[in-house]
Amino acid sequence: MKLNQYSIRSCATILVALAALSANPMTMAMHRGGGGGGGGGGGGTTIPVLNATNVSLSVSSLTRTMSDGQNVNFWVFCQGGMGGMGGGGCTLPSPVLELGVGQTANVSLNMMMAPQEPSPYNGHTIHPHGLDVPTSEDGVPETGASVNGDTYTFSVDSRYVGSHAYHCHVHTVKHLEMGMYGAFIVKDGNRISSGGPTYDYEWNMVLSTVDPAYHTATGDSTVFADYNPRYYLVNGQEGLSTGAPAETFTAATGKKVAIRLIGMQSVNSTFRIRNASGSYQSFTIYNKDGFALSSPQTVTSADVSPGQTMDVMVTLPSSSSSWYPQVTYKNLRNGGSYSNGTVYTRLNF
Amino acid sequence: MWYGVCSLGEVGSCGSWIPYKKFCRSFLKLLVCVLAFITSPISWAADYNLFIETGTVNVSASPETGNGAITIPVWSYTDVNGGTATLPGTLLESVEGGSITVSVRNNHNRSHNFVVQGLTSDTTAIQPGQTRNYTINTPTAGVYLYSDTLNSNVNRALGLFGALVVRPSGGVKRAWTGGPSFNQERLWVINDLDKPRWTDVANSGGTVNTSVYKPNYFFMNGMNGFQAMGDAATNLEGSVGETFLVRIVNAGQFDQSLHFHGNHFLTISRNNTRLTTFEWQDTINVKAGTTAMVLYTLEQPGHYPMHVHTAQLETGNGVYLNGTAAMIIAH
Repeated sequence: MKLNQYSIRSCATILVALAALSANPMTMAMHRGGGGGGGGGGGGTTIPVLNATNVSLSVSSLTRTMSDGQNVNFWVFCQGGMGGMGGGGCTLPSPVLELGVGQTANVSLNMMMAPQEPSPYNGHTIHPHGLDVPTSEDGVPETGASVNGDTYTFSVDSRYVGSHAYHCHVHTVKHLEMGMYGAFIVKDGNRISSGGPTYDYEWNMVLSTVDPAYHTATGDSTVFADYNPRYYLVNGQEGLSTGAPAETFTAATGKKVAIRLIGMQSVNSTFRIRNASGSYQSFTIYNKDGFALSSPQTVTSADVSPGQTMDVMVTLPSSSSSWYPQVTYKNLRNGGSYSNGTVYTRLNF
Repeated sequence: MWYGVCSLGEVGSCGSWIPYKKFCRSFLKLLVCVLAFITSPISWAADYNLFIETGTVNVSASPETGNGAITIPVWSYTDVNGGTATLPGTLLESVEGGSITVSVRNNHNRSHNFVVQGLTSDTTAIQPGQTRNYTINTPTAGVYLYSDTLNSNVNRALGLFGALVVRPSGGVKRAWTGGPSFNQERLWVINDLDKPRWTDVANSGGTVNTSVYKPNYFFMNGMNGFQAMGDAATNLEGSVGETFLVRIVNAGQFDQSLHFHGNHFLTISRNNTRLTTFEWQDTINVKAGTTAMVLYTLEQPGHYPMHVHTAQLETGNGVYLNGTAAMIIAH
């Protein structure tokens, strides 16, 4: 269903030119801590953080060997010029994009060497998920978006301070699953939400699941009529136990850590934080889908369904220890659990 | 069966006074006839007469690929005696603080029931050929799922479900008396079905293995994605600034995570529990067998999809965009 008559591309082109004139120098910080603290740690691939005011992304193939020894092919957005095979320097999930309130995003998609499906699901787009951009910047082919490379230009107001996402919107059932997703964070200094408190550290967690059959099927395949996830990820890592966490984050005692949950998975999920003695730690939800709650909610468990985001904050105790933030993925039918369906991370302080 | 007893000829014979024995017999028949008429849909004069029938739902092909057209058998509540079932069941409407009467006749060859979630508790089976009457009090405005609760979800999965919408009285365009106002209203009844393992098996009289459910078709108001995206009664089409009250009923067995493009919406109630403070969201997880109400205000012109953000739910048996979907069109 092409609705090309509603495609409004010319305005985008003009805005691109304007944005290019005023673009900030591109920053590429390989940090996880961000904010004031510069925390971070090891345990997984470090995801690049890019300034969305002037960034060019390509699409690349990336083969990952999973915990059971199986190889799975992913498609990811990578910083810079050409994509293609190999995926050198590319990550799963795709880079974090950051945009300040009042800034103009200028995100280019370069399709050179991009792996893709045959027609009619050829090409790729970038959909700024949760950012409520005009149709012309929305990256939806069925409402007129180009699938052959484009520049996405938009800005957002202060309501959007918090976590969002971006992903390819071509044949989304496959392309999202393939790994074409990343966090998109709207920033107002170190505020966790519009008008909310500041954090000392920020930790992005992109939630996703993998059904290997989706990675080889193409077109209108009946493979896409069912979903059988085998791998469960946080920031692209499996994190099967507290001893082998998907990611370890280090922060100072007594500080505030913002945790951004970005739900790009295809099943339900529940986020919780276990402390060193095994009990569930409370945390406070400030944002749902990147919009501030009028009353922040302090809970010990929060559901993040497919397509949702959530910004939560914890204040660390004054004495050193470790906490284990975890995501449990759940069946859409009855909330039933999956084997290896809980992904553990570790927060050292 | 009651209709057989009450054939016109027999009713006529009841009026004959001689001989005495015949009169007695006929009088008894008349009594039975009168009683039957009292409980029958015709004389009970219910607000709604529903008939459980069989029928089909037609899935249209993707205009992109030409794939996906199919006809699927369904069982449903219709408003035509002897009619053809479609999805969803007949819309029931009532006002806040009021009540409606519903008469349900089972024209299907197995037993069913009729339960309005949160409002009625009569789960008695209606045997084939029988009719049962219900009075439903509707103290609270909102949107309710009605369904057949028998047979371990099989009957609901085959299509025996619908929605009851309860509005404030007086035709006021508010979600409830004193609640948020709106310009237009929409009802989205969504469901999923597992054609090979549930629908086909149950429809041909087999026993469904209910421990396995892998739905491969997903419907919006009984339509596949491409049909729904072209349906004016489903889509949110209007002028910038207009607010839609969208009442959502998930009659299926899968939680559905509905993602709206264009702008965020306000969630005002979940399963008819009103939120003390409304929440801005762009994605709402409407769990299986629950309802929700959201306010979507058209903030900018353009065409935007609403779709489920979950793998197979974006498809109809793997055919892209033929799953749960709608369009948002702002002028």
